[in-house]
Amino acid sequence: MHAPITIFSAVAMACLAAATAAPVFAAGTQSVENFEVTEIAPGNFVHYGSFDERSADNLGDNANIGFIVGDHCVLAVDAGGSLPVGRALRQAIRRVTPLPVCYVVLTHVHPDHFFGAAAFLDDQPQFIAHENYPAQLAARSRSYLNSLQRDLGAAAAGSEIVQPTRLIKKPLELDLGGRTVIVQAWPPAHTDDDLTVFDAPTRTLWLSDLLFVGHTPVIDGTITGFLAVMKDLRAIAADQYVPGHGRSNLPWPQPLDAQQRYFTVILDETRAAIRSRKTIQQATDEVGLSETGYWVSFDLFHRRNVTSAYAELEWE
Amino acid sequence: MKTCLRLAAGGILALLVIAPAYANEKAEPDPAQSQYWGPIRQIMFADRVINPDTRDVIRVYLNLRADDASTVPVVVKAQIDQTEKEYIKSIYVIVERNPSPVAGVFHFTPGSGRAQVETRLRFEDFSFVRAVAEMNDGRLYMSQRWVKAAGGCSAPNGKKLAESLLGKMKLRFDDDMITYHKPNLVQLLIRHPNESPLAANFVEGQVPQFVRSVKVTFDGKPVMKAEVDFSLSDNPNFRFFFTPEEKGELKIEVEDTHDRKFSHSINISEGVPLPGG
Repeated sequence: MHAPITIFSAVAMACLAAATAAPVFAAGTQSVENFEVTEIAPGNFVHYGSFDERSADNLGDNANIGFIVGDHCVLAVDAGGSLPVGRALRQAIRRVTPLPVCYVVLTHVHPDHFFGAAAFLDDQPQFIAHENYPAQLAARSRSYLNSLQRDLGAAAAGSEIVQPTRLIKKPLELDLGGRTVIVQAWPPAHTDDDLTVFDAPTRTLWLSDLLFVGHTPVIDGTITGFLAVMKDLRAIAADQYVPGHGRSNLPWPQPLDAQQRYFTVILDETRAAIRSRKTIQQATDEVGLSETGYWVSFDLFHRRNVTSAYAELEWE
Repeated sequence: MKTCLRLAAGGILALLVIAPAYANEKAEPDPAQSQYWGPIRQIMFADRVINPDTRDVIRVYLNLRADDASTVPVVVKAQIDQTEKEYIKSIYVIVERNPSPVAGVFHFTPGSGRAQVETRLRFEDFSFVRAVAEMNDGRLYMSQRWVKAAGGCSAPNGKKLAESLLGKMKLRFDDDMITYHKPNLVQLLIRHPNESPLAANFVEGQVPQFVRSVKVTFDGKPVMKAEVDFSLSDNPNFRFFFTPEEKGELKIEVEDTHDRKFSHSINISEGVPLPGG
């Protein structure tokens, strides 16, 4: 009945060690055309990514990324979904300032945000991430590299995994020269390693994927945790904000409302499905249908969100 | 392609196949031509004939496009009744492109009522899921489904499990009350990280913790027995039938790869509400 653990694990480790060697690509020559940045507040430059599914056409330019410029230093908020996107961001920085890029904040472990980080290796910045980030990165990197290759083909070349060099669990104040920026680590929400960036002088809040606008919000952490973190985010006094996906002209914190409504619908209806003894399959077929039409890529992410919520809430 | 195939001593299959780094097909390949299935089939069933006739014995139910590769519900249903004369003895659930393809082996008896199991799987890559039914006379029947899901073996759940919760179990019944002499559907939930060796910073000497065996009995008589693997999602989850003839104790015994034993039981009798909602 009981398996011989030592033999099993020995075989497993031998094989897995062979499998975890990351593929190495030669850096490609593809570049992102018409990479625009918008200065939404003095010194805060945002590039808005595309809602389209990742492809060789958009080169993984799918997330909102950007940078903050101080008197001495530049801080990049994420690096985009591929080396070409990271390079485009770096070039956009160079069009604005010759100052060194001292920090690259890796807001969480998703590939649409981090795969461009290799573009900044020569700058030798601090790559800042949540304390939970390395474990998640180690666990996911092989499959993320695989799927990047699948979606981008040759254009995936050079999009390496970049390890963070500084991990945080408490708010971290950084002086960019004449401006203080606060990088904050959050409890599990969108993922278990979410960071926000707050530019103090302009009160600009970079939320990354703790805020989706228009695009279906994604739960890769915990739905109850996400709602709890959103409550704390609401309390932040911000004049400007940057979602991880999408854009809005609504005053802060109103853009949180739609996402909160969506999560609340999932939370309530999934709990009801569990109470009425419905299976996870039934729940994914039925929960949250009233939200259809409000969100881009709903078919791709909604059922997955319900699956995640169900697996979390069935233990309540 | 790096392939490792071993059969661990001790009876349980511990197959390990490392898929080619890039399996790029987005369309469903021909199940009979799968390069993955051949070696697995050879180790598990050698030269035994699979599907000796055209009978519809077993089916796999899954969505073609999985919603979450780390939590993919799968249902394997027998299409024949369990009788003393003829019954499904075991069902093998195989995710052929997973690093450890045998997700679980489930054992049934004529008294199981129905040979049916639902669980949740992780998918490392787009893959066929195969279910092989082994009859009491040794005949083998197989069916399979193609699933588009990837990255699930490497994608750990965001939540860390508190040590105090490890091995906690919950039973949920489909009905409010028990009915004797007929199959009752019950769901078993087990709190366990079911660590995938792919989902951790793998340090030499470190043994991933995952659930190895699950045994369900009713008043000491077997209901369902399963040997399982890290292809199951974290917090392993099963739905199966059991047919009580009278009141008694439904007992679950679970063992993991760290030799920890967990158990849970409830008393069942007519007229007493069942946990479930």
